[in-house]
Amino acid sequence: MEYALFLGCTIPLKMPHLEKSFRDIASILGVKLREMEGASCCPEPVSLQSLNIDTWVTLGARNLILAEKMGLDILTICSGCYETLKTVSVLLEEDPEYLARINEVLGKIGYNYKGKTKVYHFVELFSQPEWLDKIRNTVIKPLDDLNLAVHYGCHLIRPSKIMQFDHPEKPEKIDIILKALGARTVEFANKLECCGFCARLQEEIGEKLVEDKMTELCGLEEEVDALIAVCPACVTQIDRKERLVARKSGKELDIPVLYLPEIMAVALGVDLQDISLKNRSVKPNKLIEKLTS
Amino acid sequence: MANMIQKNASDLDAKFRYEITSKVGAKSLLKCIQCGVCSSGCTVTEYVDMQPHRVVASCLLGLREEVLSSQAIWTCSLCHRCTERCPKNVDYSFILALLRNLSVNEGRIPKEYSGTVVTIYDNGFVVPYTGGLKDNIDRRRNRMSLPQIIPPELDEIRYIIEATGLADIAKKKKEGD
Repeated sequence: MEYALFLGCTIPLKMPHLEKSFRDIASILGVKLREMEGASCCPEPVSLQSLNIDTWVTLGARNLILAEKMGLDILTICSGCYETLKTVSVLLEEDPEYLARINEVLGKIGYNYKGKTKVYHFVELFSQPEWLDKIRNTVIKPLDDLNLAVHYGCHLIRPSKIMQFDHPEKPEKIDIILKALGARTVEFANKLECCGFCARLQEEIGEKLVEDKMTELCGLEEEVDALIAVCPACVTQIDRKERLVARKSGKELDIPVLYLPEIMAVALGVDLQDISLKNRSVKPNKLIEKLTS
Repeated sequence: MANMIQKNASDLDAKFRYEITSKVGAKSLLKCIQCGVCSSGCTVTEYVDMQPHRVVASCLLGLREEVLSSQAIWTCSLCHRCTERCPKNVDYSFILALLRNLSVNEGRIPKEYSGTVVTIYDNGFVVPYTGGLKDNIDRRRNRMSLPQIIPPELDEIRYIIEATGLADIAKKKKEGD
């Protein structure tokens, strides 16, 4: 199965080291990818949708059409892109009248959406039984020593009537992938709390959410080696706010935040030098030590 | 918390609820039973001037001005728990996006939200990708042996933004700067 790779904006333009780790694991596992030339911002679900739903849907549909023309389904590597493209595809599939209206606009620039493109996040792919087997059989450096916490984030799993991805209140797909790599995962009260990145008007909302989550994780009996997320917004938000909150509050918060493909790359044998683990505010020094000892 | 509002029934906008439900995906507004589940699970419930179930009640009552000028509709973190947990399947997070659209139509846009469409209009991406910034990004990607970015035709992106009604915001902002 081949996929049209939808990169979005934040990862390729601001955090290319995350893209690198994803491409590395995709290549090791044999996921076939084709570049989506001419793709735009997904567009970003929070502000574009807030300003004008039609603009949001039409720009999203243009991206879906690019994949449709390639005859491929889309694979996203960001939960924001995943939410936008999947929601747009579902809205247009369920409402032919709305699809006709959007196509009227798109027709003027030579596009027409038939409504056939399926949209996947890589977590959806890798948590399928056949890919889990492949992951288990490909692991070179099992993560037996690691105790990891998962941050699912909101847009990957909700609203479940659209995303149909995992259980909206008790998701397990990321945990399953980490277990296939040999790691243990912890249960914690703030597991499903939002990172607060999208609450743009008040910085303190995000700070409080990150403080609660990281304070809980740092206080757990068994030490947590890293928090694993699958969205660049969640990764940046928790990483930066954790450091900020630690400084402000004097709390010792030192759990690093990793993008799932980074830790997958470690387990699948990518050289640590080629994974930019230090490229974040909360440095994973203890984790690197553990991985190299 | 919102201040107590006193209004005569004749001053309520009885059509407000239908202004909302006429839009794609918003019919569920009418099913609300005011149970408050949305507000009890809301990520930002302590920070808003009007909690989710009160926003819905205000929409149904016709308190158009109060809803569209509230800070609540812009404070939401879009975590979608309200929509997920509603026992009557009211799609509150989507309705909230519609309310933001209506508020934008009346010229009320927080600056944290207006910049995005300007950046997309200028770059096709939500991250600036022109001139020296583009060179830096390309160099960094090259060092990691990542494929070159093939950006969208900006004419297409601009046409879509203009044809769907955001031309003023995307362009006016620039003239003002």
